[in-house]
Amino acid sequence: MPLAVEKDIKSWLLEVIKPDEFTEKDIKKNGILFETLVAQDKVRQVAQEYKDQGYFLECQTAVDFAECLEVVYHFNHWNSLKRSCVKILVPKNNGQPGDGSWKAPSVSSIYKGADWYEREIAEFFGVTFTGHPNLKKLLLPETSEIFPLLKSFKGEPAGADVTQSLKLIKEDKEGFEITYPQSISQHEKDYYLNLGPQHPSTHGVLRMLLHLTGEKVLDAEPIIGYSHRHHEKMMEIQQYLACWPNMGRLDYVGAMSYNFGYALLMEKAMGLATASPRVEYIRVLTTELNRISSHLLWMGTFLLDLGAFTPFFYGFDDREKILDILEMVTGERLTYDYFRFGGLDKDIPNEMIPAIKEFIPHFKKRLKDYDALITKNIIFKHRTRQLGILTKENALSYGVTGPSLRGCGVAFDLRRHEPYSIYPELDFKIMTAGDCDVFSRYLVRMGEIEESLKIITQVIEKMPAGVTSAGKVPKNTPKGEYYTAVEAARGSFGIYLVSDGSLNPYRIKLRTPSFCNLNAIIDMLPGCFVSDTVAVLGSIDIVLPEIDR
Amino acid sequence: MEMTVNPQDLHTQTPPPGLVNLFRVEDVLNLARANSLWPLTFGLACCAIELMAGGAARFDMDRFGAGVFRPSPRQADLMIVAGTISRKMVPCIKTLYDQMPSPKYVIALGGCATGGGPFKYPGQYGILEGIDKIIPVNVYIPGCPPRPEALIAGVLELRRQIMAGETQGKMTPAVIRDSQDNRPAEYKNAISRAEFRKPAPTPSAPTAATPPPASPATPQKS
Repeated sequence: MPLAVEKDIKSWLLEVIKPDEFTEKDIKKNGILFETLVAQDKVRQVAQEYKDQGYFLECQTAVDFAECLEVVYHFNHWNSLKRSCVKILVPKNNGQPGDGSWKAPSVSSIYKGADWYEREIAEFFGVTFTGHPNLKKLLLPETSEIFPLLKSFKGEPAGADVTQSLKLIKEDKEGFEITYPQSISQHEKDYYLNLGPQHPSTHGVLRMLLHLTGEKVLDAEPIIGYSHRHHEKMMEIQQYLACWPNMGRLDYVGAMSYNFGYALLMEKAMGLATASPRVEYIRVLTTELNRISSHLLWMGTFLLDLGAFTPFFYGFDDREKILDILEMVTGERLTYDYFRFGGLDKDIPNEMIPAIKEFIPHFKKRLKDYDALITKNIIFKHRTRQLGILTKENALSYGVTGPSLRGCGVAFDLRRHEPYSIYPELDFKIMTAGDCDVFSRYLVRMGEIEESLKIITQVIEKMPAGVTSAGKVPKNTPKGEYYTAVEAARGSFGIYLVSDGSLNPYRIKLRTPSFCNLNAIIDMLPGCFVSDTVAVLGSIDIVLPEIDR
Repeated sequence: MEMTVNPQDLHTQTPPPGLVNLFRVEDVLNLARANSLWPLTFGLACCAIELMAGGAARFDMDRFGAGVFRPSPRQADLMIVAGTISRKMVPCIKTLYDQMPSPKYVIALGGCATGGGPFKYPGQYGILEGIDKIIPVNVYIPGCPPRPEALIAGVLELRRQIMAGETQGKMTPAVIRDSQDNRPAEYKNAISRAEFRKPAPTPSAPTAATPPPASPATPQKS
């Protein structure tokens, strides 16, 4: 059945749209079924068709070429693996970036998630999206005049960071004053509230502009970019091997999955096999341990936001035990860069498996405690049920993934959806909960902790012997485009790599899960009370530097 | 390196000896200050997680009197700058620092807050390379991220400094261009799309849109 739909979109594209270019791709290598180049004026029609067939917009980005820019859309289906890539060209026409001459049609009215993607492309590449409702800066400061991801941007002169920052201190304070809309005089009860960027419950440096009436939220606008660390531009000027530390610092709470994503991408691109099955087992083992520690941290801080102090200490206590185990392997507590192309940095030490075996029964006992302490807690239930409703349609329109999507009853987990590594051999369930509220998302994550524990038990039983280093590997990837996605603790982490065959990436786009998940909060907050906004925000489990990149 | 410190930036520090010096009283006050530091709840990036771990069950910064994290800068006297300072965040940090009542102290936690850390590269456009360019820093803690033990060591060092009355923070004035990074940067030029779409010379990477027979091109060396 899924095959028929896939044929449909493909044949529909070929028959109705008549694309300028159409190429079949190898999904095992390039990560997509096919790529196609359509005319600019047809992209909205294409996006509508994709949406009607149940696809979601997984990633949207742009690539800078000498004569034109490509805007690249990756669509995927939540039900089965049907990722495909649509491109449009934006001719440069001797125009300058940001002066409005580089135009592309906006699909933000079709896919809500495209709103932020397009704002990001607009500020980094200078493309103007016609029909976009609100094309202001997303990640960079309002006063920024550079387009950093264009190839014509050669870096700022030395010392520029200081002068520009000091200028910002003088000028940008107005950025925090709220410009009230005209209608404010008509609604005297309405007012605006800034939540963040320094707020204990925003999990970093998120700023939310809340439009309130009394204590009720009418409208919410997340303002991000306070932790923008130019990962993408940085990776463009680094060699492939030097990009490993970036992977540890994107989502530092669940960094192992990001290592996994990059390793898979490069292995696919280089056509490299892992050194031995042992490598795969260790990768899955460390990733799942990291997933548990990530969910524990989430649990602690989420409940801390709700006013419960004990789970924070319980969660961190167990998390420290996991970090001890991971530290034996990696030598790091947080920002792992443990994986290597085709292998691992080093083999696991002998004392690790006994330590895990000791940890599992202890942790199972703790899970029962959590169940009694939190899940069955009547106050917590009252606080979180029927709150922050995210419907399935909205979730897919925003491209929400991970536990937040599974909390809407959609069983989308890339470990099953696009099986990689040894996940097909392992027995685990995809946790879902159907109520679409904060409590559902909580249940999904707690269920995932148990499933990860199940995976770990299986992996340490089956752990084979073997080498863990692939020896000498190529330093570059063949020319081409590659997309890989893995299931990180927060959702689907995708990397889109455009390689020109040289030693460093030509363009690398990091599709991070929290970016879309946070975008969806715009539809989750209206109707909540101010005190509930932190509950809703906590339930989607964001990590800001991963959103801002 | 010549320090040109703007006195306005440092108005909050210990005043110079005047006509009346209450040394003993000041000592007692410093003893009290040193043993009840109230940090501002404020995290920027990775280091904030270690800051949280430092306050949580195993490490427990409360043992040293520095565990009362205050969400409001008006109640805090210690700012732990934990993480990368993006340029968009710079005005906010400055505002937060200005809102803290004196005497106030700053710990730069980790490589990013100290000097840019791993995100410093030639021509970077996104971050401020070290918090000491805008506010005076008392203690620098290296690491990426530093372990919670390192954070505790930093707090102990700050305690020592306060008790010794050495609370003058350090600033790297903005006029000094120490962010000059002369390493060669490999900023690429844009390649032509038509060139890119041509079939690759190696048979292992068929990326061609239209497959014309590839001429026996020489393998690309980069």
